[in-house]
Amino acid sequence: MSVVDEHSSHEHHGHYAEGGNHHDTPQAKHRKEHMLLWMLIGGDMVFTALIIFAWFYLKALNVEGMWRGAACKPNFNAGLNQSCTDGIGNAINHIVPTAAPLHTFAIAILAIVGAGFMWFAEVQARQGASGKATTPLLGLGALAILGALVWQIYQFQVLPFTTVQGAYASSFEYIMGSNVGHLALVSIVAVGLFIRGSKGLHDNGRWYQIHLSRLFAVWVAFSVTLLAFMVTFFN
Amino acid sequence: MSTTALLEDTKLGPKAGGLYRHQNFLTGILTGGVAMFLGWLVAHYTVQNNANWGSDMVVTVTMAAWVVGFMAGIGAFNAVFRWMVGHDQDHDDELYAAGVSQGWRRYFKFCTDHKVVGTQYLVLVMSLFAVGGTLAMIIRTQLISPNNHLISPQTYNAVISIHGMIMIIATIIMVSGPWANFILPIQLGAKDMAFPRLNALSLWLVVAAVPPILISLFIGGVDSGWTTYAPLSVQSPPGQDAFAITIITFVVSVTVAGINTITTTMTMRAKGMTMGRLPIFVWGSLVAAGLGLYAMPAFLAAQSMLLTDRVVGTSFFAPAQGGAGWLYENIFWIMGHPEVYVILIPGVAAAMDVASTFSRKPLFGYKIAVGAFFGLGALALMVWAHHMFTTGWAPNLADPWMLTTELISIPTGVFFLVIIGTLWRGSIWTRLPMYWVYLFLWNFIIGGVTGIYLSDVPADQYFHGNMFVTAHFHYTLLGGGMIGATAALCYWFPKMSGKMLNERIGKLAFWVIAIFFQVTYFGMFWEGFQGMPRRIAAYAPYFHSANLIATIGAYGLFLGWVILLYAIIHSWMNGKVAPSNPWQAKSLEWHISSPPPLENFLVDPIVTSDPYTFGEGEPMAPAKQPSPATVGSTEGGAH
Ligand code: HEM
Ligand SMILES: [Cu+2]
Repeated sequence: MSVVDEHSSHEHHGHYAEGGNHHDTPQAKHRKEHMLLWMLIGGDMVFTALIIFAWFYLKALNVEGMWRGAACKPNFNAGLNQSCTDGIGNAINHIVPTAAPLHTFAIAILAIVGAGFMWFAEVQARQGASGKATTPLLGLGALAILGALVWQIYQFQVLPFTTVQGAYASSFEYIMGSNVGHLALVSIVAVGLFIRGSKGLHDNGRWYQIHLSRLFAVWVAFSVTLLAFMVTFFN
Repeated sequence: MSTTALLEDTKLGPKAGGLYRHQNFLTGILTGGVAMFLGWLVAHYTVQNNANWGSDMVVTVTMAAWVVGFMAGIGAFNAVFRWMVGHDQDHDDELYAAGVSQGWRRYFKFCTDHKVVGTQYLVLVMSLFAVGGTLAMIIRTQLISPNNHLISPQTYNAVISIHGMIMIIATIIMVSGPWANFILPIQLGAKDMAFPRLNALSLWLVVAAVPPILISLFIGGVDSGWTTYAPLSVQSPPGQDAFAITIITFVVSVTVAGINTITTTMTMRAKGMTMGRLPIFVWGSLVAAGLGLYAMPAFLAAQSMLLTDRVVGTSFFAPAQGGAGWLYENIFWIMGHPEVYVILIPGVAAAMDVASTFSRKPLFGYKIAVGAFFGLGALALMVWAHHMFTTGWAPNLADPWMLTTELISIPTGVFFLVIIGTLWRGSIWTRLPMYWVYLFLWNFIIGGVTGIYLSDVPADQYFHGNMFVTAHFHYTLLGGGMIGATAALCYWFPKMSGKMLNERIGKLAFWVIAIFFQVTYFGMFWEGFQGMPRRIAAYAPYFHSANLIATIGAYGLFLGWVILLYAIIHSWMNGKVAPSNPWQAKSLEWHISSPPPLENFLVDPIVTSDPYTFGEGEPMAPAKQPSPATVGSTEGGAH
């Protein structure tokens, strides 16, 4: 390999010498982080696709009639002495009721609203709005996402079934858990954006962190909504 | 040298690095230990009255708390926290994080310099191999006679499962860890990886993942093999919970590392370093990283569903409650098959570069090799159910799965042609790295051909679950992937350590490994033909001598690796100082000192050609044969 050394004006274009990543040109940094985000979302798409696959696979197989717990069967984990109970003493001998769509969709809507506020803030910032103007929007976005997170945790309290009541119940609660994880991540980002905004760190056209965060928030809102439709209309 | 010296000895302010100043491996362990205790306390007191899954819950929470605590203690979350509160790291902080002015201590810290991370990875991988290898010795010792009582059948199951998974973890990172971190950015002409902090994160996540899987050995272990098939794994002892925490942590690490490798390659190439000029090793790392991004989410899904089945009583995999074992097997192999290529491809790619350098010839069929990597990557997504031929799942699809699996032998065949075409009439310089390339060719042809036997549905009805499969994947993973990785190690060791690897000891290790590898594994094909099941602690006396031979082979093989390890340690400490380009190779890493300075290049390089311009006015290795050009004109008369 032939290499020419560039002995010209810029002697040392250091990564760290000039402050590392932090002092990449904004464009270069933006490009890298954009790639990072899309690959993260791509991986997450595979994960979501597998959850959807598991849902329809178990529903279609309906092993032992236990997708929604129609039959009374020994509890596999608990040993025979606890057969036909849900593990906390209640007999399983009925069709498991489905979860109330109200909660499922309220969470999805909050996630969408949160992502929407972030997107709105980004548009404003790109049009040159100051941090003063965008920060309240980011605050509202963070509130909505936090609301979705809290509501998702609260939904565990109001479910008409527990994890041990068949494959529908299992998959439903697994999806709730996955939502909690995703919404928690978005919350961290959204709250961070808000704090940074209030410190003036989005001033002077520095909108790209809002853009990146918004991308992730939109993806999470989309997947939460998609799964909400699935669990509500295909159960 | 002066700019660099300046950079590495920069006087940093007394507060540079902030909290990092007080954090290292030890604080990680301490914080992890405290978190572990708190996690245990909380889990124990909240769920102890639930006898059904209490202990699984306790183990899970305790192990997860360890991982989070360790990562917090070593400083993995500092930057996130500072970003959140709008108190970003400044120039001095980043220099501190890159290890400036910390000497050897930086190897025990959350250090962002890609060369430190690469070196840490190498040591980590070798330690994992040491543990996995020791477990292998226990397995082979148990099998030395038909009815041995060295360990109980339960312990035996735990040992083979943990051996398998530790080896899988180690082999997934054996090339991408040390070499895609240390060498790849330099080959691109970059100063570091695209995301130095994520790089450190990926390393320390693996470190955090190790204790749980080791602890699992002592809390009942895992009794369903490295594949942890459900529903058996739903009933396994609590060791399975710790195992799952290890996997989930590892998944995050591999994902982050893969994203880093891809972003680095796509965005950080020096001026003139077009995609067509990338060393083949970079292409291999790129494809493997991409496959990892696809495979790891499936690993996460499989192990997290297994965990919820065990801990909170969901029923993904337990049929009595509506679950399906097939669901586990599908998700597992959607991960598992791509994952074997994540292991294989970087090793093959490194072997290709070694072959080119030591035959003083451009890589034969560069574009075809790149195509074969992508072809293999694409096929890898379409063959997973060849692991499920005997399970009764979708029998109508058996033929399509057989076909796609047989197609795999085309790209793998191309790997052969590329390496052999490169060696063909080259002026071959047989130094230590080259030895391993030959061994790779030998082993991998056996591994590949036996794969075709297995892809045949009727034949697999017989071979599945017996020693033939064990022999097949040891020939491919160890004989192919790991030997390729060893070629990489011997090739790049001088660059990393600044010392030449002792070739006399290295060659001794080579011969011991090469010979005893065959002694260990070849007979397993025969055992498979004769129907000896795999994963068993006792066997019919008929198989005694074959197993005895395999055990003797395994001891020899272990010894061979110990000799190589000795060569490495000995050379690292007292080896001859390495020049910057001991192999007179062409890619960028050989244009800078060994070991390279903090930011690799004193001035930004500009690349004007591909890395395979042998014989064009640059220094040549002592040629034993006519140069390729001469050979071309004296057709057939070279010998
Ligand atoms: C020509 C190429 C190959 C073909 C056609 C092939 C085919 C197969 C088939 C059909 C099986 C399933 C056997 C069974 O469980 O009954 C199998 C198992 C396996 N193969 Fe290959 N293989 C090939 C190359 C490779 C390579 C290159 C690797 C890794 C680097 C690999 C790693 C494995 C592993 C780890 C298993 C066993 C997993 C287990 O059950 O524990 N194979 N192979
Ligand atoms: Cu496979």
